[in-house]
Amino acid sequence: MSTLGIFDKTGQLLQKVMDLRQQNQDVIASNIANAQTPGYAPARLQFEDALAGAVGRDGQGMATTHPQHLPVGGGLDQVQGKVMRTPDRSGLGDGNNVNLDQEMIGLAENQILFEAAAQMLNKKMGLLKYAAQDGR
Amino acid sequence: MDIFTSMKVGASALKAQRMRLNTISSNLANVETTSTPEGGPYKKKNVVFRPVGTAFEKQLDSNLKGAVQGVQVQRISADERAPRMVYDPAHPDADPQGYVAMPNINVMDEIVDMMSATSAYEANVTVVQSAKRMALKALEIGK
Repeated sequence: MSTLGIFDKTGQLLQKVMDLRQQNQDVIASNIANAQTPGYAPARLQFEDALAGAVGRDGQGMATTHPQHLPVGGGLDQVQGKVMRTPDRSGLGDGNNVNLDQEMIGLAENQILFEAAAQMLNKKMGLLKYAAQDGR
Repeated sequence: MDIFTSMKVGASALKAQRMRLNTISSNLANVETTSTPEGGPYKKKNVVFRPVGTAFEKQLDSNLKGAVQGVQVQRISADERAPRMVYDPAHPDADPQGYVAMPNINVMDEIVDMMSATSAYEANVTVVQSAKRMALKALEIGK
């Protein structure tokens, strides 16, 4: 994102949230599509904790002395979702572990949180516009 | 990152569920079919699903590879369970003992399967709608 001061950390955070929610939507869509595929283990994208951790320490990551060093305690850019799968261990049925109702709730929740981030970004832009147009 | 990935995943599932519904309707239509071109009564057809990821993987971030999969009908196989034997000496396909081999279809099973296919289809329509709304909301930014 721009290094200009007007696009601050909140903007970056919202952008990252939308990016991750988009990925999460793909993962949930995949689970719902495969709700009746034998042996399919549903996937979860976990990123909330990593994101919350990155918010507090953005820009205070450890300095790297070589381009190939992994950044330690890096900022928002480094936050990535982690895919977790939960295989069926019940031994009943066809080994498919998808709960359609739970996935639908996850879908709705993810969509609302995505839209919330989009709306907040919109409001921020609106404020910038208002300031740029001299309050008109 | 493609904003249409979840729509494509949903669309693949709609296609697969529609194929499943077609198979169920074929089974229901042929519940009394006693002679087929291959000989013998009609055999119940089963749809086998399998996850498919290759079409989307190019567009996905490396950490999502394998986690986002569409679905596809792998094959439609005939159910090899024995036919139902019904005593009906007047039937043209009856054997010398008066028994007719009827298709191995249980109407109740088919109806349950049909309801399951319908609700799965509806769930995937919701996925596509939700993906569409998210894309439209993203377009509104900065308006």
